[in-house]
Amino acid sequence: MNVIFGLVFIISSVVLLFTSPESVLTAMLSGGEKALSLTLKMVVIYAVWMGVFSLLEKSGLANKFAKTLKPVNKFLFGPLPEKANDFMSLNISANILGMSGATTPFGIKSICELEKHPNTGYAIAMFFVINATSIQIIPSSVLALRSSMGASSPADIILPTILATLLSTIIGVILVKIFIKKKV
Amino acid sequence: MSAYFIPILFLVIFVYAIFKKVKPYDAFCDGAKSALPFAVNIFPYLANIFILTELFEQSGLSNAVAEFLSPFFRFLGIPKELTKLVLIKPFSGNGSLAVLSEIYTKHGVNSYLSRCASVIYGSSETVFYIAAVYFAGAKTKNLTLPIIISLISSFISCVFACFICLII
Repeated sequence: MNVIFGLVFIISSVVLLFTSPESVLTAMLSGGEKALSLTLKMVVIYAVWMGVFSLLEKSGLANKFAKTLKPVNKFLFGPLPEKANDFMSLNISANILGMSGATTPFGIKSICELEKHPNTGYAIAMFFVINATSIQIIPSSVLALRSSMGASSPADIILPTILATLLSTIIGVILVKIFIKKKV
Repeated sequence: MSAYFIPILFLVIFVYAIFKKVKPYDAFCDGAKSALPFAVNIFPYLANIFILTELFEQSGLSNAVAEFLSPFFRFLGIPKELTKLVLIKPFSGNGSLAVLSEIYTKHGVNSYLSRCASVIYGSSETVFYIAAVYFAGAKTKNLTLPIIISLISSFISCVFACFICLII
């Protein structure tokens, strides 16, 4: 991240120095502003979902649900601490269902829980790759945009999207299994 | 149909929790109170990503990179009109949504290009954004390999998307 950040910053700034030096600070400030408004949005989303999750957890429902996904998780991540397993199951189900608000809070919590235990580097890497290769089944935002722009059959992209999504996740999982060592 | 999903889900969770003698008010506050520390944690990382994206865009660098890479992309079957979408998606959800709707208006929503763009948009994720947010409060910062793996997988699926849209 440090290398990428440094490189892009230097190259962009040098280019802007020649084209429009006054826009360097403007661009940075407008980027920061966008980040702030997104952060505020995320706080609200986080508060709602973590509030609901707290009910899920205290009633024991989260744990029951996570137990049903345990075999799948075991195959992907290896043995997991119980609490991490709960959050990860919720994150992955929310991802599949396309509940984009819920995925992030559960994802962050999953990483926090995994980090509390030793030798979870492999599980963290696998969890990240699964999240970053998209496992959403129904691309709801694309469908909404397509129908609002008057597509003749907005849903004709669903099947190709599912196939492409599956492909990227499968390749990701295989690459993690090959290149990242499981420490036991 | 999907509009009913979340309200019903929440209803089930609340009713079940009350049935299990959980105090809903206390429990909800207990969960929600972690939201502000979370914001303090993620803001610097988000600011970082957004400032970078903005500079990259404003300097014209993103267009230059898109221009530079498009012959290579075309060789793999990705039309040159979609290069920018493929490049911007890992960084920014809003940015790529803007590019997507631009493609819709420019080429018609029923065209091959638009369908292809829809599949690329719908089947990939904002890799760098996820890396920044999920790991904002984490000690693990070395994500180079997982990020590379995610980007390669997403890129292969973009190539696949352009191919499959020719058939289906």
